[in-house]
Amino acid sequence: MLLLRLSLRNLLRQKRRNMLLGSAMAIGVAILITANSFSHGISDIMFNKIMRYVTGHVAVRFNERGGVMREIFRDRQRVWDAVKDEPLIEEADEAIGTFSRAIGNGRSDNIMLIGVDTGKTLSAKALKELEDSFRMSEGKWEDLKRTDVENPVIVAEEKARYLNVKRNDTIRVRFRSMFGQDQAARLTVVGISKNDNIFMQGVVFLDRGRAKDLLGFRPWETGSLSITVKDPQKNAFALADRIHARLKPGLAVIYASAGAARRPVTALGFKTDDASKEKLKSFIKLSSGSWDKVFKKDGVILPSALAGALGVTAGGKITLAYPRKFEKTPKEAVLTVAAVCSSGCAAPDAVLLNDAGFYDLYYEDMPAAPAAGARRFSAEGPWAELLAPEWVLLKRTNNTDDYKKKYQDIARNKWKGTTIDVSTMYETASDILKMESVLNIITVSAVLVLFFIILLGVVNTLRMTIRERTREIGTVRAIGMQRRDVRDMFLLETLLLTLFSSAAGLLLGFAVMKGLALITFHPHDNPLGMLLVNGHLYFLPTFYGVAGSVLLIIAIAVVTAWFPARRAANLSPAKALGHFG
Amino acid sequence: MNIIEIKDLKKDYPLGNTIVPALRGVDLEVAEGDFMSIIGPSGSGKTTLLNVIGCIDFATSGNVKVAGREITALDDRQITDIRLNKIGFIFQTFNLIPVLDVLENIEFPLLLMKRSAAEARKRAEKLAEEVGLGEHIHHRPAELSGGQRQRVAIARALVTNPDIVLADEPTANLDSVTGASILELMRRMNELEKTTFIFSTHDANVLKYARRIVKIKDGLIEKEPVAA
Repeated sequence: MLLLRLSLRNLLRQKRRNMLLGSAMAIGVAILITANSFSHGISDIMFNKIMRYVTGHVAVRFNERGGVMREIFRDRQRVWDAVKDEPLIEEADEAIGTFSRAIGNGRSDNIMLIGVDTGKTLSAKALKELEDSFRMSEGKWEDLKRTDVENPVIVAEEKARYLNVKRNDTIRVRFRSMFGQDQAARLTVVGISKNDNIFMQGVVFLDRGRAKDLLGFRPWETGSLSITVKDPQKNAFALADRIHARLKPGLAVIYASAGAARRPVTALGFKTDDASKEKLKSFIKLSSGSWDKVFKKDGVILPSALAGALGVTAGGKITLAYPRKFEKTPKEAVLTVAAVCSSGCAAPDAVLLNDAGFYDLYYEDMPAAPAAGARRFSAEGPWAELLAPEWVLLKRTNNTDDYKKKYQDIARNKWKGTTIDVSTMYETASDILKMESVLNIITVSAVLVLFFIILLGVVNTLRMTIRERTREIGTVRAIGMQRRDVRDMFLLETLLLTLFSSAAGLLLGFAVMKGLALITFHPHDNPLGMLLVNGHLYFLPTFYGVAGSVLLIIAIAVVTAWFPARRAANLSPAKALGHFG
Repeated sequence: MNIIEIKDLKKDYPLGNTIVPALRGVDLEVAEGDFMSIIGPSGSGKTTLLNVIGCIDFATSGNVKVAGREITALDDRQITDIRLNKIGFIFQTFNLIPVLDVLENIEFPLLLMKRSAAEARKRAEKLAEEVGLGEHIHHRPAELSGGQRQRVAIARALVTNPDIVLADEPTANLDSVTGASILELMRRMNELEKTTFIFSTHDANVLKYARRIVKIKDGLIEKEPVAA
């Protein structure tokens, strides 16, 4: 208490000098906080105003047959089961969207057609976030449910202006369905939205059910999942890991019957990558037919006993029938036998299909699960590695570089099955975090230079103070103050000065941010417009950012003050008392 | 009983390449409760002797026993404790802390001793009253006259009930009337608190207040004149 009182009064004793030094420190703090809040704001825009709507905090992405645009999974319930019962999930949605060419009134442009779930009741928080990000300037969100017009859509204000369309006008769009077929549709503009961010100004919103119909989804199929999570920075990775673990695939098996006698068979896909082909050749003995035919897309191998029972030989045809999971009528497919094997045929009742052909059948008409208690196939020996799984679960990644490599691998491997990728927006866009870190480093470096100059001021001020107060130091030491207390008194003075300066710097920083955020920019098509929210600079100060900046400055100031303070404490009382000057 | 016992005390100061002897073998004993003056011309070693007795400077050789403790073998922390608990200082230039008022200056040593704020304040108020500053307790040093400042210094020196009060030329910066009143006050406090007072001076007029006079010249005690 005594030291605090002394330090406070000594600070006020040299008002002008301390005011000057304090002002310099306050400016430094203000710059640091403003810059830190700006870089954090950029990340927030990218993650929470763009990525969050594009991919969600966690995305479960499907690519059928390695097709980047073919984001479909044929068993919606199966994948939704993997994300249900997760208390951390705030919202989970199907991300349905496609790039289209839109023709308005005399103008055309590319748009991003996005499906939104109009049937869902949004939480108050989600609704507010949605309304904050996409404010309706004409019409309302509920208009997407209208049935009196054809394909009602809400168009971003910028895009509507460019396409020269107004409310109730029609837009014609050309796009490719999920399966690569060219499609055309008419959309009716029922609303115009004013979007926060330039990145979102090309979107056209459509009811998700209608969007799925247009893109060719059937009711039991789903697009990629976009999941928002409570406290994403803390929870997104763990949630992605858990969903990933639940999506471990089993073997893709079709329990079917073959031939006129409806003989029970097990249809399996065999892998046809180069390594698997070599392995298959090494242990399967073909009694008739050829490997060339086997490795063609429609290649089928039958065990010789089964071929005999069905009365077919290589080149002959069999009819495979099985109950479908989502439709009442059974599926029937006619297969041409490419070869008959005498040994190594997986199972006596196995109908082995080239995985390319197998997945066509499997995904297009998913087989029903066998009845309870019915026979179940289990792969043994080398077959465990060679049979087609239900899907290919891609490994989890930590950053954008690994993520990119993963997708390059997909292109290289030419997967026949559907790939499932579980990722967080932090890894799909870790470059943004890197950019924030780089911005922070640049800011801190610049501010450190400023602080170096300020700290020279601290040292100089303290040296002057100590010189002026040498006799006083001698007096308090003679009276009985310990060295440590003398040192602490000077450190406390610096600490108090830094604290007051930081508080002033905080106020200044917030005032500067408020002032800068009032300026309106008109970026038009400049990509830097992405960094703006409604044409204004966006700052997001965080507790840790602000506290970190203040602590950094305090730490630097106190460490710098340590040495002169210690020197003051070590002065000999007799010499200090004899000091004149 | 002796409160101070000094044997063959030598103190040298380095001055460039030469050594200047300030004390050249001082022997001195001071009885408890004494009111003693050390006289001598400038540069004779008065201040050095007081500094060594006051534990703010170290002897080059010899033995110095203060309040029963040999101080030449103590570390800085122990020496500081002795200064705080056993010794009070009165300086020629008062040396008050400018940012503290009269009461705060007086109670300062008690707060260093970790006494409670209330106890320190009570004791400081009593001493302020005794030195005649009852009406100026909230004044800062800059608002006081030289005599008043020295009274504050005396109160501060006595506030811890020290065994010894050392005063280095306490009247040198005061006019003769004020100086006399300060010495009378010191004498009165010596009688009131039974504290040993040792003060240095080169002013012959001051000697009449001393019970014992020690004369120092060229770093050696010459002889002890009879007290007035």
